[in-house]
Amino acid sequence: MNAPTYEISSLTHFYNDNPVLDIRHLEIADSSIVGLVGPNGSGKSTLLRLLGLIERPTRGKIRFNGRSAEPFSDETRFQITLLPQEPLLMKRSVFKNVSYGLKLRGKYENLGDRVGEALSLVGLSEEVFARRPWYALSGGEIQRVALAARLALKPEVLLLDEPTASVDAVSAQLIKEAALRARQEWGTTLVVASHDWQWLYEICDNMLHLFRGKIFGTGRENIVFGPWQELGKGKWGKKLSDNQEIRIPEPPDKDALAIIDVFSVKEDNLEKGPNHITLSGTISLLSLNKITGLVHATIIVGSHPFTVGLTDQQIQAQAIYPGKTIWVQYSIDDIKWI
Amino acid sequence: MEFILEGFFQAIHLLITGNAETYSAITATIKVSSCSMGCSLIMGIPLGFCLGYFEFKGKKSIRTIVDTLMALPTVFIGLLVYAFLTHRGPFGDFGLLFTLPGIAIGQAILALPIVIGLSATAVESMDKKLRTTIMSMGANRRQLFLSSLWESRHGILAGAIAAYGRVMTEVGISMMVGGNIKWHTRTITTAIALETNKGQFGMGIALGIVLLTLALFVNISVSFLRRRF
Repeated sequence: MNAPTYEISSLTHFYNDNPVLDIRHLEIADSSIVGLVGPNGSGKSTLLRLLGLIERPTRGKIRFNGRSAEPFSDETRFQITLLPQEPLLMKRSVFKNVSYGLKLRGKYENLGDRVGEALSLVGLSEEVFARRPWYALSGGEIQRVALAARLALKPEVLLLDEPTASVDAVSAQLIKEAALRARQEWGTTLVVASHDWQWLYEICDNMLHLFRGKIFGTGRENIVFGPWQELGKGKWGKKLSDNQEIRIPEPPDKDALAIIDVFSVKEDNLEKGPNHITLSGTISLLSLNKITGLVHATIIVGSHPFTVGLTDQQIQAQAIYPGKTIWVQYSIDDIKWI
Repeated sequence: MEFILEGFFQAIHLLITGNAETYSAITATIKVSSCSMGCSLIMGIPLGFCLGYFEFKGKKSIRTIVDTLMALPTVFIGLLVYAFLTHRGPFGDFGLLFTLPGIAIGQAILALPIVIGLSATAVESMDKKLRTTIMSMGANRRQLFLSSLWESRHGILAGAIAAYGRVMTEVGISMMVGGNIKWHTRTITTAIALETNKGQFGMGIALGIVLLTLALFVNISVSFLRRRF
């Protein structure tokens, strides 16, 4: 059996003595697509920088294809490439930006063809863009040129940090298609950090949820932030903007994070079990999860999104569609704390 | 007012007829400034790049010293270089006092802190994302260093221009170390000072026009280079 592309064990990383990442164990399989989700500051970009061997972890090891990996190592620097969240083009023409990595590898043959091919992958015409200087491009074009520069390398691993965060819908679609073609054509392993859950659900073989530097699930958990307040008579919870209450057992501390497992959605709130809470919300999004085959419904309760996985039968039986008002139900006893 | 206008026409006459004395000062200026700038760029760009690029103990102190030296008065440099090159000085045996290489040494001392300081500033103001970009494309340490240097080229070039402007227009060093010897160490600026003292405004203005033309030529060349690269 082949070694996984990445194997991380007992990794911790600090910035100025502040812990930003703490991963006990993580494996990323060859030619897989892994999605990273989590709020801002959860450590997604840091993890990508470590996987891209841009930085060395404070403690712990990263193994790449079974071997210990270090920044600048000759064994890895031509295999892995990272597209940062706000990519920077060097002060040179588009052609020179895209061909830069190829030149570093000493690949001077058919340079024009390779650059043209990479540009066409991201929907840019070589004739129009190749000679343009770095300052004569829009934000979306910069993002696409930066991706083209990575795709020209036909990398073994492509790390994408919020690749569609600051581009228009057309550029986003082109970037998504280009990234997937890398996997289809060259077997590239993709690790993608994004807030575009729908896209990640569609393409990923595996999803990782990062929170405060730790991996703790698959990205489908409902995390509710504190602060919690005592609602009277020993009851704890949080008042939402529409006057509903998220009820919880007594929290370990007022700012603790609760993982709430929504076990059903219903068209009414007539049936209630002991310690079962029902909240009214509006379905805002439906997306198919490629891994489980479930349809994930995002339901906005107050201003808080809850996600629940539903089968085809449930969707049909309850006529689930975006915009519909529905009740979500969870059990106080099943709440877990972070 | 009339004598300024007269001087202007005389300047054109001197330049068109190829006045030997005028062209001797022009040649001396180009020789010493090229030599001093060459030396200060060769030493100053790598030093400035390292100062801006690397983090090390004492960096702030060095930066403060360099910034202070950027404001060195030319007469003070002239005095120091004179003291070192005079027969009684430590380098008196080399016989460099009242020679063009002597002036070039003084001007290199003038330009060096400017090149170092402004190169360091150019490197420090580079986008912090550049390192990630270059590394993510597969660069090794040497390629990272060279690519970063190339990316800061416009700022470094601006520093070189500033240093060149200072070197071209200084009087103190050329006067004290060169001695303003006719046909030998007389540069444009020392000639202007002398001719003005003598009341020869024509020659002074002619040399001033040459100085401006040289500055214009250098700036046009740099501007072309910036567009090209």
